[in-house]
Amino acid sequence: MGDDSILAARDVRKAFGGIQAVDDCTLSVSKESVTGLIGPNGAGKSTLFNIIAGLYRPDGGEIWFNGTRIDGLPPYEIVRLGLTKTWQIPHELRNLTVLENLVLAAKGNAGEHLLNLFFRPYRVRRDESRWRARAREVLALTQLEGLANEHAKDLSGGQKKLLELARALMSDPPLVLLDEPVAGVNPTLAGTLMDLIERLRRGGTTFFLIEHDMNVVMNRCDRVIVMHQGRKIAEGPPAIVKADPVVIESYLGG
Amino acid sequence: MAAISRSESPPGTERPRWRWEALRPTPRFRRQLLRGLLVALIFIGIVAGLALLFGISIIQYTLAGFVVGTIVVVAAIGLTLIYGIRGFANFAYGDLMTLGAYVALFANLLLGASLPWGVVLAFGVLAAVGVLLEVLIFSRLEGRGPVPPIVASVGISLIIQNGIRAGVGTQQWNFAVTAIQDVVIVPGLGIHPVRGIATLVVGLSFMLSVHIILKYTNLGKAMRATADNLELAKATGIDTKRVTYAAWAVSCAFASTAGVLLGLGSVISPTMGFDVLLLIFAAVILGGIGSPYGAMLGGLIVGLSQEMSVPLLIWLGRPDVIGLEHATAYKVAIPFIIMIGVLLIRPWGIAGRPPAFGRRAFFVERLSRALSRKPTLARKVKRDDIGG
Amino acid sequence: MAIDTGLLTNIGFYVSISIIFAILALGFNIQWGYTGLFNAGIAGFFLIGAYVTAIAITLPAPPIVIAGIPVYPGHLGGFQLPFVAGALLAMLASGATAALVALPTLRLRADYLAIATLAFAEIVRIFAINLESVTGGTIGIILIPRPVEFRPPDPFLNTTAIVGIGALILFALLFVLQFIAESPWGRVLRAIREDEEATMALGKNAFRYKLQAFALGGALMGLAGSLFAVTLVYVEPSVSFAPAVTFSVWVMVIVGGSGNNRGAILGAFLIYGMEFLSVQLKDFAPAALKDTIFYIRLMIIGVLLILLILFRPSGILPEKKRVLR
Repeated sequence: MGDDSILAARDVRKAFGGIQAVDDCTLSVSKESVTGLIGPNGAGKSTLFNIIAGLYRPDGGEIWFNGTRIDGLPPYEIVRLGLTKTWQIPHELRNLTVLENLVLAAKGNAGEHLLNLFFRPYRVRRDESRWRARAREVLALTQLEGLANEHAKDLSGGQKKLLELARALMSDPPLVLLDEPVAGVNPTLAGTLMDLIERLRRGGTTFFLIEHDMNVVMNRCDRVIVMHQGRKIAEGPPAIVKADPVVIESYLGG
Repeated sequence: MAAISRSESPPGTERPRWRWEALRPTPRFRRQLLRGLLVALIFIGIVAGLALLFGISIIQYTLAGFVVGTIVVVAAIGLTLIYGIRGFANFAYGDLMTLGAYVALFANLLLGASLPWGVVLAFGVLAAVGVLLEVLIFSRLEGRGPVPPIVASVGISLIIQNGIRAGVGTQQWNFAVTAIQDVVIVPGLGIHPVRGIATLVVGLSFMLSVHIILKYTNLGKAMRATADNLELAKATGIDTKRVTYAAWAVSCAFASTAGVLLGLGSVISPTMGFDVLLLIFAAVILGGIGSPYGAMLGGLIVGLSQEMSVPLLIWLGRPDVIGLEHATAYKVAIPFIIMIGVLLIRPWGIAGRPPAFGRRAFFVERLSRALSRKPTLARKVKRDDIGG
Repeated sequence: MAIDTGLLTNIGFYVSISIIFAILALGFNIQWGYTGLFNAGIAGFFLIGAYVTAIAITLPAPPIVIAGIPVYPGHLGGFQLPFVAGALLAMLASGATAALVALPTLRLRADYLAIATLAFAEIVRIFAINLESVTGGTIGIILIPRPVEFRPPDPFLNTTAIVGIGALILFALLFVLQFIAESPWGRVLRAIREDEEATMALGKNAFRYKLQAFALGGALMGLAGSLFAVTLVYVEPSVSFAPAVTFSVWVMVIVGGSGNNRGAILGAFLIYGMEFLSVQLKDFAPAALKDTIFYIRLMIIGVLLILLILFRPSGILPEKKRVLR
């Protein structure tokens, strides 16, 4: 509450055509927490994530991240400020290798500036090897070493999900938005993933995740926010939320 | 509630929004008629004012603007039809106009037919050509994005243009219209009966017939539906294939007439159509792609802006101003500049609808962001913003 | 055994013009093959490069008036810079213009971009024709000095020199382009082509990269223009920079396989080879067909465009996959 929230949405609205996907949504995420976002299908969770990440412009409302207002900013600006997001359906860059996929998530790689290629070759080489090393580090964290030179399209579904997570972690951002990080992943791997998230959380990273898997939500999240029809209808510790009649109603009735 | 978004009707059209008048009652029509009359009055006022200031020759340019504009309108209607239904920019359209003019010339010179019959023949030939193009080429390119049809149309343009050069020769021709004097309206203001009056009459009748077809015939309604939403049209049982063929036929037929009018107004040469292609595109974009009424408005704006810029350019060409050499040659650039402006600020044109994620040009986007509330980096989060 | 220097000179001319088209194709390749931007105004950037170089390196050329009749309007010039400076200025001018053109048009749909760039090229041509005191009007700029000139003038040696210079530039360019393609910057472009939205979500400003790629392509077209100016030793606005040039480059890139540098060069040599041959065969054709061969050749290009886009849009050479090791 108050100053220890890293992300705050206030009265956010977004409509597509005639459908109000997000409807005066107000919520906040505390620093260094693992916060879950749940709700029945069509509640607007992924849309909200896309708005926060800058992929959609909200029709109204405000989004604050670390004291900075970010609604209306383009995605690359928001990433630069330290907020990354994974996709529910993996958006791997199919014809690039896993390593390339990761290195692209680097922040401030000198070689990505055209003029640097010719005028600062030393810095280009230095940054590139630094980020490749970091990529291998993250690959190890997400248990994807050995796949570095595979083309992303040749990965299995679970591996693509891991790649999503790995990419989001590359620049060591303070806040990571995860859209169904363990959906379709086998339980052992899911457990490993969530362990990793917990480790990183202790290291200072905040996670805000959308999940349908109630095990994950119950056992891994500090707090849970429930969305229904585009707005927040409940929030609190997982056990309390789970027993909230309003929440149960939304899942049954919709 | 699925609200279907409606944009403001464009000022200056006394014709009702083509999508809606099937459902709208007449009071709306009356309102738009009033608006159109108002704009027309303002326009007349401006022209009269200019005439008082600079002399009666201004009106001569205005008339020239209307004549040129009419030709552009006829061409633009045809182009926008295909753009709306097939979804691509037909870069061969100018050369289809050229082809029409040459067919009419052929009828005139070789078959001894009079010009009106030449127009009819060109009409038919080009309509057939259009359907053929769709059958042979463009139906196969469906669903491959906007670029392949453009490339194919460029190929067709090259074939037509150079086929004419190779087959007929590169010299310039003129229609066998007897040398008539301009009809004098007022001293200093004249209009040519064929090049001027006939063009205006033909243009107006084409505009009217388009309006009638679109509004009152089943084909017109089917065309509007197909242009609006192809899948939906198919789902409601409209034979979109036939509609597409019809659109191609009408489009190319209009091209042929525009070509004849152009040939009447200037000369007939292998590049006559291609030279004005960009003008037609400008009119289509100005008016909004897929909207025949927008094309009418866009065509008039293009014609008027081009011709009425001439006195301004002449002034710029004077040694004591800028001394711009060949100043009047730049008049063709004026509609382009307007078109680029439209692309920057309102790419969907006057009568078009902004898409769901409408993106404007880089600067405009930046500017509008700067002018509206801008997130600043230094502001602190207010305590009561954060919920418990 | 006497070497037919006339024939060799002709072949040399073919090679040098093919190299120029190859550079144009490489520039277009960057714009379309790597970022999907369909530039219909290649001729405009080509023109700017050629004229900038011409103006930079020629001797002063005042207007010529004979018996009160203006014969030649003169043109801006007299700076007499070396060719390298002229070429660099050309790249700068064309690249900057490309960036300016791209700023408002980059976000537009592909067809809008095509129309806008075509309009741009035509506007440039209108200026080139009408801004007579700067560009020499419809006559253009003549007597452009070559970087290497043999005295007494020997067409064979001169042509060989130009071919050498062109080949040098081309190879250097290929090397640089390969380097850029495999660089982190090139990687971002590839990612944008794969999935622009995902790449934006990774933190890349896709607009800026596309703008830079477009400008780079434009700079290459300017370089081609500067080479063109010294190969022909004159520049004129009507034929050399007509839209047909743009369309020919399209064919070259499509034939060779878009996205593929080697293919672009192959396509250039093939298509221009066709043009060159048709001109050579003109002398053997029956009198009636002499001029029409030129137009028939253009018709063939048109047919090629249609056939290619219908049946073989990927061209002859496929794109090579790259792996980061």
